[in-house]
Amino acid sequence: MTPTRSFGRIAATALVLVVFILPPLWLLASALKPQAEIFQWPPTLWPEHFTFENFEKTMSRANFGLYFLNSAIVSVTSACLSVAMSVMAGYALSKFRFKGDTLFFLLIMSALMVPLQIVLIPVFLVLRDLGLLNTLWGLIIAPAATPTGVFLMRQYITGIPDHLIEAARIEGTPEWRILLRIIVPLALPAIGTLLAFNLVWRWNDYLWPFLIVTKQEQWTVQLAIANSIGRFSINWPRLLSMTVLSILPMFVMFVALQKTLMNGLMAGATKE
Amino acid sequence: MSMGDLKQQTKPAGTGIGDVVRAVGRTSWPYLLLLPTVALLFAFTLYPLAQGLWMSLFRRGLVVVPQIPESTPVFVGLDNYLQLIGDKDFTVALIRTVVFVIIAVPIQLAAALGLALLLAPQSRFNAIIRTIVFFPSMISGLIIGVIWAWLFARNSGLVNYALSLINIPAVPWLEQDQMAQIAVVVAWVWGSAGFNMMILIAGLTAIPKDLYEAAAIDGTSRWRTFTRITLPLLEPSIVVVVVLGVIGAFQVYEIIVSLTTGGPGRATVFLIQNIYETAFKKPNQAGVAAAQSGVLFVILMLLTIVQLRVARRRS
Repeated sequence: MTPTRSFGRIAATALVLVVFILPPLWLLASALKPQAEIFQWPPTLWPEHFTFENFEKTMSRANFGLYFLNSAIVSVTSACLSVAMSVMAGYALSKFRFKGDTLFFLLIMSALMVPLQIVLIPVFLVLRDLGLLNTLWGLIIAPAATPTGVFLMRQYITGIPDHLIEAARIEGTPEWRILLRIIVPLALPAIGTLLAFNLVWRWNDYLWPFLIVTKQEQWTVQLAIANSIGRFSINWPRLLSMTVLSILPMFVMFVALQKTLMNGLMAGATKE
Repeated sequence: MSMGDLKQQTKPAGTGIGDVVRAVGRTSWPYLLLLPTVALLFAFTLYPLAQGLWMSLFRRGLVVVPQIPESTPVFVGLDNYLQLIGDKDFTVALIRTVVFVIIAVPIQLAAALGLALLLAPQSRFNAIIRTIVFFPSMISGLIIGVIWAWLFARNSGLVNYALSLINIPAVPWLEQDQMAQIAVVVAWVWGSAGFNMMILIAGLTAIPKDLYEAAAIDGTSRWRTFTRITLPLLEPSIVVVVVLGVIGAFQVYEIIVSLTTGGPGRATVFLIQNIYETAFKKPNQAGVAAAQSGVLFVILMLLTIVQLRVARRRS
């Protein structure tokens, strides 16, 4: 394909830009307007009276700071736990031969076929029986095992030369030290990537907190947003500012790690 | 050298008790490493799947309460599945979901393909636009729903404002059945277009450049080049986009929560929402809800088998 910048191409690119930039920009602009201007017709594309009033109210009256903190605690803890588990399982499945290794691999991968959506009811009962309902621990532990994570770590660790492990064993290094001192440092790039994915996944979780949490003081950002949507009336100034705040961490991460996330998320989806 | 040989080499003839402990430790080590992942997947995915299928054979309440006799499980065989045929809420939601899949997935593919063809040529400018188009993949379906609910707002939304500029009166996007269904398709396609575009761009860059050069030398028209070279060679990536799209579309739910909450009326209630409402909002229908999940599971399993087949054919 030759990159001819014909008129059609330029027009199409401009249209794409409008369609993909305008929605988030419009959200941000609306959140920065005073209440009256939010519903003004014809609408103003950029706030005429720029204000942080909606954000202040969301933080002070809607207790959004707490939900943000809950989300941060849950995402970070769960992501770290998930990465640790994926490294362990990926290492076992790439550098060891043991009875049932293929079976374990297939078992873990088969979980990909079962999205949470179709096991909502029994998962709810399991959570209840384990006493995980209405706990942040439930939000941290329940989504932590990810077949995609195990698969990505297995792929990466396979590439670490066997002789490094072998040499350590001959020296009598305990197995746990081989994992921590050899495998983990060498797998750091993959670990970083996987950590970033996990943060995105966990920050965006809606169904898990929806199943687990009913107490308002344990709401996450997504849950607070879902709960502020009434069927008949919506407090738009509040909802808009909450939504902007919920996107902010993902936006910062995306700007910082854009290449990693774009290529990696795709690899995860297509190579499963 | 394989790990099997390696282990034998490094395992010295066991003499002291320390060696025995170490040898036992080494054989159980991989199992220990797998334990957390396997335990959690078992507890929160595989066991619930089996439990759900088992539940679908009973008439029971979500939570069994001794004081409510109707909530205690009674074995009914395949009754719950047979009941689904006459269950209007379910059949309507199923048909609506299938229609959604049939309409939304081709539109999604067309959008992704258009974007990929437009933005595949390597340039700094295109790289920036690709990033912008991809960004919605970083946010949850719930948030995408909020963004579009605000865009589609009848008396303050940007969409109706744009339409008013070309003298089209305000459209009741979220207040009228069909318009709301269209709104769901638009928001869903917008949210997933960038991700699928990247899959297709990866496929496009893998097509050998000399094929295009040869076509150019032969004076082949651009349309012919597209249909005879690009499309056939892009087919594996297209299949990935379609299969992932179909699997995702069958589970559409989060975006609904914030965009339409299933309304107006029940016009945008799809399978997942119907399962959830059956289990949590109707008394003693947990078995029926489990049967609905069972049907969806079978659909998704068949699709995943298709996906694996395709993946195997590719490699």
